[in-house]
Amino acid sequence: MASLLVLGAGKLALGDMLFILISFVLLTAAVSKFAWGPVTKMMDARSEKISGDLDYADQERARADKLAKEREDALKNSRAEAIDIVNKAKENGEDQKKSIMADAHSEAESVRQKAKSDAERAKEEAMNDAQNDIASLSLEVASRVISKELNANDQKSLIDSYIKELTLNNETK
Amino acid sequence: MDDKYKFIDFLGLRFNVANDLSALIAAILVFIFVFSLSRKVTMRPGKAQNVLEWIIDFTNNIIKSLMPDSAVKQFGLYAFTLFTFVFFANQLGLIFQVKVGGYSYIKSPTTNPMVTMALALISLLISHYYSVKKFGFGGYVSNYVKPVGFLLPINILEEFTNFLTLSLRLYGNIFAGEVLLALIGTVAKSFGVVSLVIALPLEMIWQGFSVFIGAIQAYVFTTLSMVYISRKLEKE
Repeated sequence: MASLLVLGAGKLALGDMLFILISFVLLTAAVSKFAWGPVTKMMDARSEKISGDLDYADQERARADKLAKEREDALKNSRAEAIDIVNKAKENGEDQKKSIMADAHSEAESVRQKAKSDAERAKEEAMNDAQNDIASLSLEVASRVISKELNANDQKSLIDSYIKELTLNNETK
Repeated sequence: MDDKYKFIDFLGLRFNVANDLSALIAAILVFIFVFSLSRKVTMRPGKAQNVLEWIIDFTNNIIKSLMPDSAVKQFGLYAFTLFTFVFFANQLGLIFQVKVGGYSYIKSPTTNPMVTMALALISLLISHYYSVKKFGFGGYVSNYVKPVGFLLPINILEEFTNFLTLSLRLYGNIFAGEVLLALIGTVAKSFGVVSLVIALPLEMIWQGFSVFIGAIQAYVFTTLSMVYISRKLEKE
């Protein structure tokens, strides 16, 4: 009975099972060392690199977007600034124009005033001169009358003519 | 079929030379295959690396469809080796079979139930090992009476049926394929040239179909192994 069992076990060729087990384990070890290990490692590294690259690309894109937005904002600002500057310049010009006009006006006014006062003074001076002249002329006439011995009629007509002449002269001035 | 095998008795164990030699050749072929494809591993993969990565992705996706992604690290290597080994073992007998003096020496190792049982045993051992590791021995045992206690006998029976269906499905498919291949071969020899002309296209068609079956069965075996492992790892 025992020998039959042993024989039966032998007939099943259980050694095959053992052989397959061992060879399969050895094959697994060899595959792991020479192919599976390096290749899966590389696959992991690759997937890591790809996800890293994707992250990097996302970051770069966000950065570029931000930069473009900043540029646009700056452009908008600069346009507003330019308009501001032009407006300011216009205002300045207007102000300057106004002040120049006012200056010119006041200067003209002062020039007019001065001319007026000059004329006034010249008139006064002329009057004074005329008075002086009249005085000297009177003296001269008087001296001439005295030097010439005239009769009463002649004397009278002479004085009248002089006085007439004087008043005429005075009026013309 | 009626093939005769050489047996070697060693340390009280009986070894079938044809099974062991073929399994060894299949294992060596798998190793040469993956070794030659993984010589230049670079960030930008070449042709060879692409092929290897495609297979790795394929087996990883089997695991991902059944278990959380973290399981790929645990079982990815096993699924990959299992798939490639079973695939090569299935195709080996289609490409060449060696018979010397009536004794078969090289064939598909998966045409023998002992070989497929050994492979199924590895899968089941892994599933039980990781179940104990995850739930503790108490949790592992209590999983047999879940969801309800009276299912205990069915749960225990299921372990054996899983083992048998997993191994015998592969064995049956590949064995049947090679039996038919051998039968068509006998037809070819039966009536000389006439039968040869008829049998040759038949043999070619069946070989092509067997390649397909071998690939499908490798996929099925790997997938079911992962299904059994995932079932052992989820809380019911």
